[in-house]
Amino acid sequence: MEKLSNGLTLFFSLLVEAIPFLLIGVAFSSLLLFFVNERSLIKILPKHPLMGAIAGSLMGIFFPVCECGNVPVARRLIVQGAPSSVAVGFLLAAPTINPVVFWATWVAFRGQPEIVFLRVLFTLIIAVTIAWVFSRQRDMRPLLQAAVTRQMPKPQTASVNPLLRSGTFLLQTDGATLQIDDPATQEIIASGPSKPFAVKLQLALDNMVQELRELGAVLIMGSAIAAFVQVAVPREWIIALGQNFVTSILAMMLLAAVVSICSTVDSFFALSFSSTFTSGALLAFLVFGPMIDLKNIGLLLTLFKPRVIFYIFALAAQMCFILTLFTNFYVS
Amino acid sequence: MSARRPRRPVRKKQRSQAATWYRQPELLDALVLGTWSLALFRYWFTGQLFLLLHPNYMWLPNGSAFVLLAMAGFKLMQFRRRANRISASNHSTLLPPRFSSLVLLAIAVLSLMYTPQAFASDKAIQRGISDSLTLTRSQPQRFVRQTASEERTVIDWIRTLNVYPEPDAYTGQAVKLSGFVIHPEDWPEEYLLISRFVLTCCAADAYPVGLPVQLAVSRQAYAPDTWLEIEGKMTTTTINDQRQLTIEPTKLETIPEPRNPYEY
Repeated sequence: MEKLSNGLTLFFSLLVEAIPFLLIGVAFSSLLLFFVNERSLIKILPKHPLMGAIAGSLMGIFFPVCECGNVPVARRLIVQGAPSSVAVGFLLAAPTINPVVFWATWVAFRGQPEIVFLRVLFTLIIAVTIAWVFSRQRDMRPLLQAAVTRQMPKPQTASVNPLLRSGTFLLQTDGATLQIDDPATQEIIASGPSKPFAVKLQLALDNMVQELRELGAVLIMGSAIAAFVQVAVPREWIIALGQNFVTSILAMMLLAAVVSICSTVDSFFALSFSSTFTSGALLAFLVFGPMIDLKNIGLLLTLFKPRVIFYIFALAAQMCFILTLFTNFYVS
Repeated sequence: MSARRPRRPVRKKQRSQAATWYRQPELLDALVLGTWSLALFRYWFTGQLFLLLHPNYMWLPNGSAFVLLAMAGFKLMQFRRRANRISASNHSTLLPPRFSSLVLLAIAVLSLMYTPQAFASDKAIQRGISDSLTLTRSQPQRFVRQTASEERTVIDWIRTLNVYPEPDAYTGQAVKLSGFVIHPEDWPEEYLLISRFVLTCCAADAYPVGLPVQLAVSRQAYAPDTWLEIEGKMTTTTINDQRQLTIEPTKLETIPEPRNPYEY
């Protein structure tokens, strides 16, 4: 009975602390969805692979979305023709490198500031490296799901005279043409600037409720698992696992992938393990979780082919392991 | 991609009986948001939030209570004017939306019914009280302890000890502090631990700290989890071959559990 009561208190304390950050996260992602135009953003992005990777990784600063919000944004970026390095960098880094997550991590790990900064640093290193690797692939098409490829602008558009193609077109201010029956255009038309502010606001609110509903349920499950592990698993096990430099990292990476908790609130989750696990393990959780987890794989499958997700997963997991192991040995 | 099935056209007459409340997405959303808002308001006004959260961050759930209420209002309004509903763009979901809503609703109702309990000695033992004398995760943020030693709380003492761990340095200093009782299993009968949970952020990271108290009688006189106010002097004793700063009480008084049982 005592244990149940402790578990419930822990559970609600995690929820009460995490829900405000979840609200902020979904509010940002919903507003951006309807008020920021990715097309104009892409125009100013660097084309150089490394610069693109860095720019993409840092874009989260302007798109504070968690790992649930970044896949739709990354997909829109790809469909709009952003370079692959930018899109992959954004996909991996945005859930961590953004002001909301940074603040939440700071709130949680005020006592261990090195975790806050190393989280950002490691995420940047991993995201930029993987994005750079992916930039070797000039044309993203073979890596993407067919549904996404169909929405992308066709590469031969420039060589074929637009007049020779069938369909309905709009002439744009920069001389480009826009095919109306293209799904991407439909998307732009559906959420474009033509709508009055009130309607956009309503759409944003609707989207906010929708995201809150889904992510809230995932958050509840994550918190329940955290509370359960805290209360029910014998302390000796956790300590034995958590104090070993290697197994603690592996355990936390596995936990991160399974729990699928939103990056905006995962620091509070990790906090509940902070007294028993090594700093490297906590970092592994905080760095790896936002990049790949079970929930995220479902979302990623709407964008990439499975083998691409496997590559990203393998690269991210290895780099995360090496970096956090280094932390365990040399930093803390 | 889109998980939304095309909604059947609902005729006004049928709506009241055919569609139960949980089949009305707007109404269900409004209910979920409203209940969560209510739950957060309840934590705020009953002061139970003190058991869950560091006071520095209490404005976060308090603010969220208002935001959630506003969102519930928005959804309710949308329900009233169904004609105006605009469905947002497609959204890939892991869980079916109605399932998510029901989970959220159930947990909100549970939080309305359940009163959080402050952690007690069993949790402290599970979290490892014994090593906490040398372990405080939070670095000391202020060195203001030039004040009288009897004004130090348990955590102040622990922080002071962390900076200068020699117990003899504190011998004879006056102590006055309050906390709850823990009976460490491997300690002799006449010693108990007076302790407090320290919070950095929320109850999830609460960790216990404590100071040993040397009693003249058996510790059975003070049951675990009893709240005590102790006045006395500091001395050094050896418990289980370990020299420790210990309180030698002159006055022990049972007090009710404080409204805010944690220290920060």
